[in-house]
Amino acid sequence: MAEEKVSKSAAVKKLQATAEASAYQKAWFADLKKRVEAGEDFAYLNADVPLEVLRAMDIPFVVNQWWAAICGAKRMTRKYFGLLRDAGYRDDLCSYCATAFAESLDPDDHKIDPETGKELGPWGGLPTPTIAITRLTCDCQSKIFELFAKNHGADFYVIENTIARKAPLNWFELDEDRWEELYDEDRLDAAVWELKELIKFLEHKTGKTFDMNKFKEVMELINEQEGWYKKLRDLIAECHPVPVTVVDTINAVMQAQWQRGTRWAADHARRLYEEVKALVDKGEAAVPNEKYRLMWLGRGIWTDFAFYQRFEQKYGAVFIWTMYLAMGADAYIRNHVEKDPLRALAARYIGMEDFLHMPPWNSQWYIQQAKQNDIDGVVYMVPENCMQAVEGSYFIKKALEEKGYPVLIFKADPVDERKWNAETMGGLVDKFIETRVIPNKDSKEKEK
Amino acid sequence: MTIRQCALDCEAFAQLKHIYENREEIPAKMRADGVKVIGKLGCDVPDELIIAGGMLPVQIYADPEKELKETNVYLEYAFDPMVRAQFEKIVDGTYAGQIDALAISNSTDVLIRIYLYLRELHRVEPDKAIPEVEFIDWLFTRKPMHEARNELIAKIFWETAERWAGRNITEGEFFEAAKLCNDNKAALRRMQALRCEGRISGCEALVIIGAGFFMEKAAHTELVNTVADAAAQWPVIDAPKVFFTGSNQEDTSLYEMIENAGLLIASEDHDWGARVYDRDVNLDFTPVRGLADCYMLREFSGKKAFVSQRVAALNREVTQTGAEGVIFYTNQYEEAASWDYPSQKESLEAAGRRTFGLFKMLWPCDRNEGLADAFAGLAKSMKGGTD
Ligand code: SF4
Repeated sequence: MAEEKVSKSAAVKKLQATAEASAYQKAWFADLKKRVEAGEDFAYLNADVPLEVLRAMDIPFVVNQWWAAICGAKRMTRKYFGLLRDAGYRDDLCSYCATAFAESLDPDDHKIDPETGKELGPWGGLPTPTIAITRLTCDCQSKIFELFAKNHGADFYVIENTIARKAPLNWFELDEDRWEELYDEDRLDAAVWELKELIKFLEHKTGKTFDMNKFKEVMELINEQEGWYKKLRDLIAECHPVPVTVVDTINAVMQAQWQRGTRWAADHARRLYEEVKALVDKGEAAVPNEKYRLMWLGRGIWTDFAFYQRFEQKYGAVFIWTMYLAMGADAYIRNHVEKDPLRALAARYIGMEDFLHMPPWNSQWYIQQAKQNDIDGVVYMVPENCMQAVEGSYFIKKALEEKGYPVLIFKADPVDERKWNAETMGGLVDKFIETRVIPNKDSKEKEK
Repeated sequence: MTIRQCALDCEAFAQLKHIYENREEIPAKMRADGVKVIGKLGCDVPDELIIAGGMLPVQIYADPEKELKETNVYLEYAFDPMVRAQFEKIVDGTYAGQIDALAISNSTDVLIRIYLYLRELHRVEPDKAIPEVEFIDWLFTRKPMHEARNELIAKIFWETAERWAGRNITEGEFFEAAKLCNDNKAALRRMQALRCEGRISGCEALVIIGAGFFMEKAAHTELVNTVADAAAQWPVIDAPKVFFTGSNQEDTSLYEMIENAGLLIASEDHDWGARVYDRDVNLDFTPVRGLADCYMLREFSGKKAFVSQRVAALNREVTQTGAEGVIFYTNQYEEAASWDYPSQKESLEAAGRRTFGLFKMLWPCDRNEGLADAFAGLAKSMKGGTD
């Protein structure tokens, strides 16, 4: 996702699918701008909003977290947080979610530098949205979205959030087919009602009609796409050494994930799988001297992808797992959509945050994934300033370590380069590999 | 100023102050007499149902002196310091000896996390002395479906209260308890009117309100009414009136600092102050409807409302109070209200009110250097001097 600066930094990526996704994303964004300029409604969504509804209604949209990553990769953070400060806001809060609001304070966002002829805003700046939608999954998000909507003159819409009373440990075994067992029934009922309200709002606002057949098609395309991610995740998990690392998969998957529900995204997922499979068939390894397989927990470091590769030469330590591919593999598929398409979507979107941020769902899934991927060590980035991402790091660490996976926890910010120090963080990971990962693996091998 | 001699000379106030300062005394006695004591974390736990079940609701509070041995193990740094200290008492066994169960409302995101952590602790470390925990998951956006769902949430908590009480709770018992609570709020509103006249200081008000968290409602109502009768004759405090918005104040230390500087806190919007008597349960509704209506439609809180709602709410509250200025004060890691502040400040200043913002404050307040001087400067400038 953070492809621009990432490729200019030392991160080395090799997949055609990644480049293809970046090119598609650029073309798609250019087209979106044209549609907005032509007067179409344009929605700005938080990542946990059920975008499938907008996809089915052909309402153009951009996802907040994707856009924050673009802005982060374009090194806009410093400027944006200066703008926040000047407007009287704190500049040390919610960097991930507040980036677009900060951008909305930038008078130069859509301007061209008269000297260089370059666009001043990231990708020429965010087109002016007419709709801003978020969910109430934390105390700050609705406030930020409302401020953002006000600055753009957009309609502000929120979707409620409910907390799971029932929390079966094996969500990843239940969510695809047995979601009625996974969730409290009343939470699903409420979520379906929220979807119906959202549809009403969008129909009213845009004049477009929600077509259930089109919606089913979108849901099926998503199942197809995520099915390829499942195959890809399983393929990577069983390969020793792995054919690709997280630097390859994060961008390739994330960009297509925001396009989910389109034919392009489903096909892209297939091509991604096929490309990696071809590497496997040729016996190619991402890091031929792979010795230690690392898992990355937390949001990606959009400002410094090269960080993930720092440990390959020195130790043969390879980051092979992030949530980005694995969530696609395990969290999105909902079979038998035709029975009740809206309920199937409800069963997807209400779990998304909880799978990642709610103990015990997150810790149990990480254990299962560490096992499947034959992980030797876990590096866990806890964001500095996000209550939503406060997700029970104690329980996650305890659960993984009890199963024999050493865990390093450190604090950082995924988009704020001001708070990122690759040397310090790299030093922590070096030490972790030397003092925990290597001895742990050695002793496991001796036991064998 | 703070707590004046006229208040201390009032027998009813002295009793409230004693209870406020000895918060375990009445609950421990009642527990020894066989009454179940239910801890509440968050400001949206319905007292009405706990009381209807013959139990005593008590508010969980922090001990600023306590070392956070357990908390530092379990909680990340992003939890605000007061919640951290509350958590310590829940997980270190203190509350296990004082309450029979704990009800947590989703009044802020932080409390949702606390609930999830306690639930997980019960699962992974079952030997820890932590009371049984129940969560109350209100929706605060105001749509018809959300009201219907809130009625379901009220029903679920009703069943929990029955389980804790060990018996059914009848509608009659509910209405009786709801009336007790409404009467209590009415008495506190009488007291609030006297605050606005300047007859009761902010510190005195915190004591009067806060004592109610640790005693029976009827007894509290009686004492509050007696204090209100007496306070009508107390001298009017001659100081610029301010409204306090922000972090909960579980004790009077910050208010003392502000009022000693020469200001009068005429009202506030936090959970240990005027928010307690914000809205009644409508006794003409069905019980669950009345509960949903009361807890969903209270004035917009700093944590669960949009910026525009918070701007309007603060304007309304400040106008009602007649305050000349507003102190914004939030503790470190209590971030949500920071997003409201610039718009609130602009709106208040446009109406000619002074604003004074303090954020990322250390807790307890005496850890902040120069704070008393800052308030003295504010007081001086509000009195017409230069700060
Ligand atoms: S608390 Fe986290 S999820 Fe919420 S707005 Fe801030 S950064 Fe975003």
